[in-house]
Amino acid sequence: MNTFHLTEDQQDCLQELINVAMGQASDQLARYLDTFVYLKVPSIESVNADELTKTLAEQQNTVAVVSQGFFGHEGIRGEALLIYQDEDSERIADLLGYEPDELSKDEQLIDISSILTTTFLNVFASQIDNQMSYNAPKLLPSVQKSISQHLQQMTFSWDMALKVNINYQVTDYSFNCNMILLIPETAMANIKAVIDRILEEF
Amino acid sequence: MPNDNTDLTIKTDDLVAGLMITEEMAKQISDQVANQINTGVIVLNANFNIVRWNRFLEVHGGKLSASALGHSIFDVFAELPERWLTRKLSAVLQLNTPSFCSWEQRHHLFELPHTRPITTDSQFMAQNCTFLPIEIDGAVDHICILIEDVTDVCHYQGQLQKTLDELALMSRIDGLTQIYNRRHWQDSLEQEYAKARRHNKALTLIMFDLDHFKLLNDTYGHQGGDKVLIDVSKNVKSLLRVGDVFGRYGGEEFAIVLPETNEKGAMDLAERICQTLAKTPLNFQDKLINISVSLGVSSLNVNDSNYEDLIANADLALYQAKAQGRNQVCLSADNTEEQLQA
Repeated sequence: MNTFHLTEDQQDCLQELINVAMGQASDQLARYLDTFVYLKVPSIESVNADELTKTLAEQQNTVAVVSQGFFGHEGIRGEALLIYQDEDSERIADLLGYEPDELSKDEQLIDISSILTTTFLNVFASQIDNQMSYNAPKLLPSVQKSISQHLQQMTFSWDMALKVNINYQVTDYSFNCNMILLIPETAMANIKAVIDRILEEF
Repeated sequence: MPNDNTDLTIKTDDLVAGLMITEEMAKQISDQVANQINTGVIVLNANFNIVRWNRFLEVHGGKLSASALGHSIFDVFAELPERWLTRKLSAVLQLNTPSFCSWEQRHHLFELPHTRPITTDSQFMAQNCTFLPIEIDGAVDHICILIEDVTDVCHYQGQLQKTLDELALMSRIDGLTQIYNRRHWQDSLEQEYAKARRHNKALTLIMFDLDHFKLLNDTYGHQGGDKVLIDVSKNVKSLLRVGDVFGRYGGEEFAIVLPETNEKGAMDLAERICQTLAKTPLNFQDKLINISVSLGVSSLNVNDSNYEDLIANADLALYQAKAQGRNQVCLSADNTEEQLQA
C-alpha cells in the first residue's frame, strides 16, 4: 500500500478540515473585499505525481501558474500551485480594490494567489494546532511548457498532490482558480499522524 | 500539543553555567542581531506610523531615527505609492496573513542607495519586501516590513537575460550578412505557409542569386566576395517592408518570404531589386564592382501541397532567369500556366 494512501475516515476528516478552512477563509475574504463571496464546497482529490503531470500537461488554456511554498511545525510542508485559465483573470485588480494602473497583471495574479493561499492555509493550520510560514509567491515563467518542468525541478520530490478546486463566486466579478497543494511523502505521513490524532480526540 | 512551549523556566544552575540566559540578555542579543543583519526592518502600527526600525534603514536611508519614529511611513518615505501600499498593508492586518513584493514586479519600494553603484546600472537598491502581521497581546495591530537587498540577484538576472537574448538572436542570424540564416528563414516560411493556407491569404516567394559570383571571387578575392554579399544584403533589406522575411538561403543565394502579397506585388518588388542592384556599383578597396542578380518568383497556388513546393517553383523560375541571360526576373511556370487558364 502507498504511504500516502488515506483511509476513508482519514479522507473524510481531511475533507471536513478543508471545508471548514475554506468557509472561514472565504468569510475573511468577503470582509476584506467588502463584497459577498459565495463558495461552493471545494472538491478535493488526492492524485499521484504521474497523474497530475499528465492532467496539467493537457490543460491547454492555462495562462498563469503562481507557486508558493509553505512550512509549519511537525514537518508539515509543501508547495501551493494556483492555476489560472484564460478567462479567470480579467478583473482581479478590481476585485482586490486596486486601480488597474497601480499594478501590473503579473502582480495582480501574485497578490490574489498569495491572499488565497495564506488565508486558507492559516485557517487550516490553526485547526490542527499548527502555524504556517510562507515563501514569497512566484509566477512561473512561460506557462505552456513549464508546469511539468517545474514539477520535475522542485526542491523536494513529492508523491502526492491534494487537488483542491476553489470556485469563488463574487457578486459582479467572475473569478475562478485551481489550487493544488503538492505535499512530499514525509509531510504526508505527518499530516496523517495529525488526522489520526484528531480522529482519536473526536 | 505541539505549540505549547515546553518548560522554559530558567534554572539558576544553568544560568551560572552559561547554559541559559535571562530575558534581559535575550533582549540585548535580539537588538544587536536586528541592528547587524543586512535586512531592513520597519515596524508600523495600525495607522502606518513607524514605531521601530533597525540600523539598516538609518544607514541606507540616511535618515535619523528621531525624525522617523512616530511619523507616518508615507511622510518618511515620500516615494512610496501610498494608495496601493495602504491597501496591501490593510490586507496584512485584516487577514492576518503575510504579503510580499518582489523586485521582479517592482524593482524597489524604498529609494535606498545600494552597495554596488559602480558595477551595476541601477540607481536604487533592488528589493524583496515582506509584510508580516505582528501579534501583540493577542491583537494583530502591527506590521513588520522586511527589506532585503537583492541588487546582485537583479543585476545577474539582467545579464543572464541579455545573454539569452543574444544567443536567441545569434541562432537566427547569418553571421556574415546579419540577415536571417537558412534555418530561421525556412521556419518562418513554414509558419507563413500554414497561416496563408488557414486564412486563405496570398503568399509569394522571391529567390535570387548573384550572377557570376565565382568570377567576382576570382577577380577580387574572397574578401571582395564577402563584401558583395554584405552590401547586397544591406541594399535589398532597405527595399523591404517590415513583415517581409529575408534570409540567406546558402552561398550566394538569397530568399524573401512576402506574406499577404500577390504575384503582381512580388513581381514589382523583384524588378525593383533587380534594377536597383544593377545600377548600384559596390565599393571594395577603392574599386567599384558592378553586380547583377537573377530572380525567380513563385506564389502560393492550389497545386502546392507544402511549403517546399513554393521553394522548388521559385528555384525553377530562378534557373530560367539564368538561362535567359541573367539580370532579370522570371515568374514560376506553375503560376504563369495558372494565369493562362484563368
